[in-house]
Amino acid sequence: MNDDLNKSRRNFIKKASLAAGITLAAGAIGIEKFLSAKSVPKKKTLVLTPDGKVYQANCGELKEFNPPPVSNLEARKGIPNKKFVMVIDEAKCDGCKACTEACQSMHFIESDREWIKVFKMQDSESTSPYFFPKPCFHCDNPPCTKVCPVNATFKRQDGIVLIDNERCIGCRSCMVACPYSTRFFNWSHPKADQIAETGNMQYSPELSLPRRMGTVEKCDFCPDMIRKGLLPACVSGCAMDAIYFGDQNEDAVTNASGVTVKFSQLLEDNAGYRHLEDLGTEPRVYYLPPKNRKYPKPDMNASGKELNQTEMKMGDMRMSE
Amino acid sequence: MKSIIINRYFLKKLGFTIAVSSILFNISTAQITEKRTTTIQLSFYKKANISKTIVGTVKAKNEEGKFLPAINAKVNFYLVNNNAQTFLKAAYTNKAGKANIILPENLPLDTGHCFTIAAKIENDKVFEDAVEELRYKEANLELKLAPYDTSRIAKAVLKTIGKNGEVIPVQDVEIKFYVKRLFGFMPAAEDYTLATDENGEASFTYPKDIMGDTAGILTVVARIDDNELFGNMEYQAVTAWGTVLLKEKEPFPRALWEPYAPLPLIITIAVLFGGVWFTYLIIFYSLYKIKKEKSDEQIEFEAIIKQ
Amino acid sequence: MINEKYDLKKEIEIVREDCLRPTRRWGRSTQIWIGCLLIMIGWGIYCYIHQLRQGLGVTAMRNYVSWGLYISTFVFFIGISHSGTLVSAILRITKQEWRRPITRSAELLTFVSLLFGGIMPIIDLGRPDRLVNLVIFGRVQSPLMWDIISICTYFVGSSVFLFLPMIPDIALCRDRLTVCETRFDKFRKWLYTKMAIGWKGTKTQWHLLEKSMTIMTIIIIPVAVSVHTVVSYIFAMTLRPGWDSTVFGPYFVAGALYSGSAGVILGMAAFRKLYHLEKYITKRHFDLMGRIVLALTLIYAYLNLNEYWIPAYKMATSEGHLLEDLFYGSYSKLFWTLQFGTVLLPILILSIPKGRTVLMISITCIIIVIGAWVKRYVIVVPTLLHPFMPIQEVPKDWSTYFPNWVEFSITGACLAGIFLVITLFSKLFPMMAIWEVEEGLLIEHDRQLAIDIRLKREASERVINIEKLNGEKVSTEVEPIKPTVITS
Repeated sequence: MNDDLNKSRRNFIKKASLAAGITLAAGAIGIEKFLSAKSVPKKKTLVLTPDGKVYQANCGELKEFNPPPVSNLEARKGIPNKKFVMVIDEAKCDGCKACTEACQSMHFIESDREWIKVFKMQDSESTSPYFFPKPCFHCDNPPCTKVCPVNATFKRQDGIVLIDNERCIGCRSCMVACPYSTRFFNWSHPKADQIAETGNMQYSPELSLPRRMGTVEKCDFCPDMIRKGLLPACVSGCAMDAIYFGDQNEDAVTNASGVTVKFSQLLEDNAGYRHLEDLGTEPRVYYLPPKNRKYPKPDMNASGKELNQTEMKMGDMRMSE
Repeated sequence: MKSIIINRYFLKKLGFTIAVSSILFNISTAQITEKRTTTIQLSFYKKANISKTIVGTVKAKNEEGKFLPAINAKVNFYLVNNNAQTFLKAAYTNKAGKANIILPENLPLDTGHCFTIAAKIENDKVFEDAVEELRYKEANLELKLAPYDTSRIAKAVLKTIGKNGEVIPVQDVEIKFYVKRLFGFMPAAEDYTLATDENGEASFTYPKDIMGDTAGILTVVARIDDNELFGNMEYQAVTAWGTVLLKEKEPFPRALWEPYAPLPLIITIAVLFGGVWFTYLIIFYSLYKIKKEKSDEQIEFEAIIKQ
Repeated sequence: MINEKYDLKKEIEIVREDCLRPTRRWGRSTQIWIGCLLIMIGWGIYCYIHQLRQGLGVTAMRNYVSWGLYISTFVFFIGISHSGTLVSAILRITKQEWRRPITRSAELLTFVSLLFGGIMPIIDLGRPDRLVNLVIFGRVQSPLMWDIISICTYFVGSSVFLFLPMIPDIALCRDRLTVCETRFDKFRKWLYTKMAIGWKGTKTQWHLLEKSMTIMTIIIIPVAVSVHTVVSYIFAMTLRPGWDSTVFGPYFVAGALYSGSAGVILGMAAFRKLYHLEKYITKRHFDLMGRIVLALTLIYAYLNLNEYWIPAYKMATSEGHLLEDLFYGSYSKLFWTLQFGTVLLPILILSIPKGRTVLMISITCIIIVIGAWVKRYVIVVPTLLHPFMPIQEVPKDWSTYFPNWVEFSITGACLAGIFLVITLFSKLFPMMAIWEVEEGLLIEHDRQLAIDIRLKREASERVINIEKLNGEKVSTEVEPIKPTVITS
């Protein structure tokens, strides 16, 4: 189900059916209805469904669909009747940082910052350490959007918190307001290779690219991917299947292997929790405690060697909660 | 079945990586001049009895002897019929080492009502030649739902073609029942697998507590995975068996974190600072009056003029 | 009987001369001073252009410490701006006669520090070119927006508050500037004429002015309190340890008043020395202001206790990490120096009468002002270095902060700007409210008159009584009391 597409297929799809895509929910139902009705299509075309599958469909049945990036107004509203939610299973995370890598290359993130960062956590001296991948929590009571003076960062109806870097004035109020250090500031111009790769992209808050000096950026839950029915980069990039993503309204979350489970059941069975619940920010990211771990626990004394210019601050290792 | 990723990640990873890695690879292999040992795996996906896809997974041995996905390998697909091979199409593998083709609709079947597809890597600069074949029987999987059904029974029917060309049911094939969700298929219940009976039928009762959309509509799915005879088959149907999702009355309420502020906050700020600015206006008016004030001499002078 | 030797008109003339004298002469030292300030400002502008072109990355700020010296300075300058309100408005409302020679400099300090305090966040913006978005897309839920509204309101208010009592003085300047030979004099004449808004000193004008003054005096106090309260809200409205405090509003207001009134004393001392106003700004003024600063320092110390002792008693996890760092960690030296050196020490010095000499008070106030500035830094930076998530595997410069040359240059330029505006102002306008001092003289004169009359009546009554008793005539001459300029 999660096969990628080869080059020729991509070109073909691009030419033949990009314009003949379908709107996310209504379109999908339309297709299903058409298929179940078993009418014999006369003029067929290939279509891409929201979950990334290809159908042959009758041209007459299809609705026009604007390919991303969506307009600024649409990006601010979000997808109706969806509440996106992420579940991260600490028992499955082995700290390999594949999620971070997938995210970095997807969003062309510069090496000094990580939109999803894998922390080594230890709540107290006697408790067991564990790996803690941390994206943006897309809180339902977001401290960041509260303090934005120009509505450059905003909460959408599907729960996602985004940044409009064409409006951001760079006051960094949101950065100091975020208790999870999720936001990053573009202190300088993007690097030349980055400009070469992303400079010509058409900006949308859903794309977060091209990035601009003097504005804030953060994990965006890959809304452009979601619109295509695809999982965010970190979720599909997780080799351990530790990250689940889905729609809370559907009560289902899916991981990289395509295993879809009932969201409420998953939390119930594994005693799911949210990080720093007492702050009252109501995160949309849930965690499953590291019980019955299959992988070795993190070595809290090892310093990070992955980045050359890095340093771990051991004094801050102990965490609240 | 195959999924399509047209996204930035893909564009970058595929576009750039393929370009770069193939160049690098060509250089390195030119030095070695030894082709890599290559294997192909084939799978067949049939969906809604219309779309038939062949996915070829190509792996190649690296220098350490590990088999890794072969990127950008050209795979030729042939239809094999009585030792006669008809070229169908060629496809290149992606970064996961997968090459896909969609089979033509009216695929000629052999005497056993089967079709055989061969995938070959031929004369590739990097990869050794490799061949793999698959043979599957033509079959139809269908999911039948009774209209206005409140019992939530979905009946999957699997049929194939008999020796004499008649349609016959298939018994003892495991069919899995799912509910379609945004990013994948969710097992409809804990025990979601049923085998077909002598009529080729499997009836599954969907549980009540599955979330549907705002009209309670959801898509139910019947699937056969990796069957020896038929490969992978899938059939979807739409029904209103889901729990109705209550629409948010106000997706963008007046709130501290939303674009529009709560009214009490606006009123408080407006009253407090409006009051101050109103006072300022009084002061500005006084200043205006000071400016317009005539001196005693002027008043006297004007009085004289009037007289 | 009034003292014949005391000539009220002459005294008033002396006051006017003393006040107007600095506006007539632009000495060599003034020119050098202005030149130095301009060089500093020029260098600051160059650095700012550099920052605009290369981004805020040229500063030492990084993702953890995303607010640094600029925001600390912003809070400090806004704090200093509270001086004008306190000294001027509160002393006016309580009808403190001794306020008269010092109100002008206090109000000016408010005006100037607000002007440059307001610039600081704009310097700190990543995209100052999008400032107009604040008007187009402004959200009133944002504490930053409250700051903008409140600071603008305070700025307009304090400008009016500065300008109102200046009108009669500007009119005096206008009337006294009769010879306009140089181009500069012509400019001054034009400026005075425009700014005096046709002041002729009629009864109606005086009435209007006094009414406006009364209104402004009352309204400016809540506005000033609101300003520093909402400045604290940009911190207190977050969940960050060290900032997430309900006492932050009053804590900032108290800190502002404490540093602001110390700033006023420094201004007083400077003008007293430079413009030879020892006759007007006397030791008594310093003594009284010293008592006020003492009171405010005590209030500030009390709030400090609340701010640190309450969380320190509980040592809640995240708050505890921050406090550990402040009490015995990397910021402990700075923290305890501030607590002992700039809070406890001033209390000790100012509470003994010998500590309230002009020199001692001035030194104390310098300590207080610098201490207040550093304290803002200690409020802003350590909290940012103690986020809820641990700091792991980040570039080295993210986990530390010390302002670099760009930040120091630009902040220095703003400080130079404050000095420049004050210098230019004092070279154009009288630094004491002449008419208010005159009014003080008149009141004092009247008081002396009243005393004279009373003494005379009492004496004559005594004479009558004595005459009644003795039947003798007694001399009615009373030893006259010479009125001083201002009670000192």
